[in-house]
Amino acid sequence: MRPRTLAGRYARTAYLFLLPAILFFAAFFYLPIGNVVATSLRTGPQADQWAGLGNYTQALGDPAVRHSFLVTVAFAVAVVVGSIVLGLALAMALDQPLKGRVAFRVLLLVPYLTSVAIVGLLWRNILDPELGVLNRLLLAAGLPAQHWLNTSPLLTIAAVTLWQSVGYTMVLFLAGLQGIPETYHEAAKIDGADAWLRFWRITLPLLAPTTLFVSVMAVISGLQAFGQAYIITNGGPGDATDLSVFHIFNVAFRSRDFGYSSAQSVLLLIVIVAFTLVQLRAGRRGEVVY
Amino acid sequence: MRKWLLYTVLGLASLVTVLPLLYMLSLSLQTEAETLSASAVLWPESPQWGNYAELFARAPFGNFIVNSLVVAGLITLAHLVFDPLVGYVFAKFRFPLRNTLFVALLATLMVPFFVRMIPLYVLMANMGWLNTYQGLITPFLMDAFGIFLMRQFIQPIPDDLISAARIDGASELGIYRRIILPQTRPALAVLALFTFVFQWNEFLWPLVATTTPEMRTIPVGLTLFNQEYFTLWHLTAAGSVILFVPTAVLFLLTQRYFVRGIALTGLR
Repeated sequence: MRPRTLAGRYARTAYLFLLPAILFFAAFFYLPIGNVVATSLRTGPQADQWAGLGNYTQALGDPAVRHSFLVTVAFAVAVVVGSIVLGLALAMALDQPLKGRVAFRVLLLVPYLTSVAIVGLLWRNILDPELGVLNRLLLAAGLPAQHWLNTSPLLTIAAVTLWQSVGYTMVLFLAGLQGIPETYHEAAKIDGADAWLRFWRITLPLLAPTTLFVSVMAVISGLQAFGQAYIITNGGPGDATDLSVFHIFNVAFRSRDFGYSSAQSVLLLIVIVAFTLVQLRAGRRGEVVY
Repeated sequence: MRKWLLYTVLGLASLVTVLPLLYMLSLSLQTEAETLSASAVLWPESPQWGNYAELFARAPFGNFIVNSLVVAGLITLAHLVFDPLVGYVFAKFRFPLRNTLFVALLATLMVPFFVRMIPLYVLMANMGWLNTYQGLITPFLMDAFGIFLMRQFIQPIPDDLISAARIDGASELGIYRRIILPQTRPALAVLALFTFVFQWNEFLWPLVATTTPEMRTIPVGLTLFNQEYFTLWHLTAAGSVILFVPTAVLFLLTQRYFVRGIALTGLR
């Protein structure tokens, strides 16, 4: 059957071209989302007994789940704050007329290319109390060894995460800074505004969209961090770095409780989507136009 | 600001980002005794290139490399085939349910991978696709971000170009292949680069979806190797160097594209 109108023919072509994508997103996004919700309402080793909202009420009252959620939020906050402060500081340093800017940009961006496997394994070795190069250097200098992964494990893995990602946020901020017209700064200089004032009144407000984007991305990736806990700390010491996705992974694939782990991943998804929407709304309200 | 201060800040920051990776290289060339010695060894007495051979003897590292190349390579290829085609449809065609489908597509951007992890595992188990290439590859064949990127890039191409080709009797697929695709080359390069690097480094899904060492990709194979031989840091470091070098080379060859690509993701 050939469509009679031209519009009909274009529509047919469009759907023909879209067919693989429609099948793909149905099979590998929408069907799994439906299934994770369906599984979250069931219990038992095969996840085939109806549980209603049982898994959800259990998760909300489970101290281990609550603890891992709080740990994850603290981790995400540390990553967000670090990304913004360090990323912006480095971008502003790099936004000056310096020699070797391209080289600095490359050097700062290099860790961004590493897999979380490298980040995890390398830093676990470097930070090791006995074998780690940092502690061996400290001892050689007559200083006491530091057990960073025992004394402040969460901050340490957040710092390691920043080591990998700060180049990325720096490049985003750099693009944002280059979008601010030089004339604003010149006009403010003529009016007698010093660098500090110009930073607070011009740079920061005009960078708001970039800052918003960076914080949204950092929250989203911080809340779903996994490899740091799996590779560096194994969730420990104790449960100090039991990040949510690591917790869900263990409930699913070590305890083999698909129903309970599915409910937890739906809850975390709701939190992430809510966070994103709130941030975007707050960001839109805070936008400035000069 | 004073220039020396800027140079100091940037120089120190660069040392922090680069020195650990150089140390990784140094570690990969040390003897086992050097990795365990009480005093810090910054560079080995005599570089032990044999560590790399020993790594291949202790773990199926050749398999890991082939698996990573096949998985990341085929996923990248799939993105190059599908993302621009779908982006073209959303940029240039009018058809029923267009906006609905586009919103449904963009909504998938908000779905983190861990949400799909358990149902995909069950799906693959039911199909007998755990521990296979198709199991590792199919969940990542396309993504909304790549499609959106291509749509943004294709939109400014003049419609007249397409209409003229239609009047000349070109087929729809011919228009796409001969008129649209050649103009998207810079965007395709960015797309390929990012897809390959991300898939090369992907950790969670290959960890979940493989059951034997022979099917593991490098990040997973290396991590589980380290769990088994947790004292052999020189070998783990050698594996890390193998994992890192391809992305580093790609990056150095294309760093301008790379930086532009990141900046592009920040645009709304």
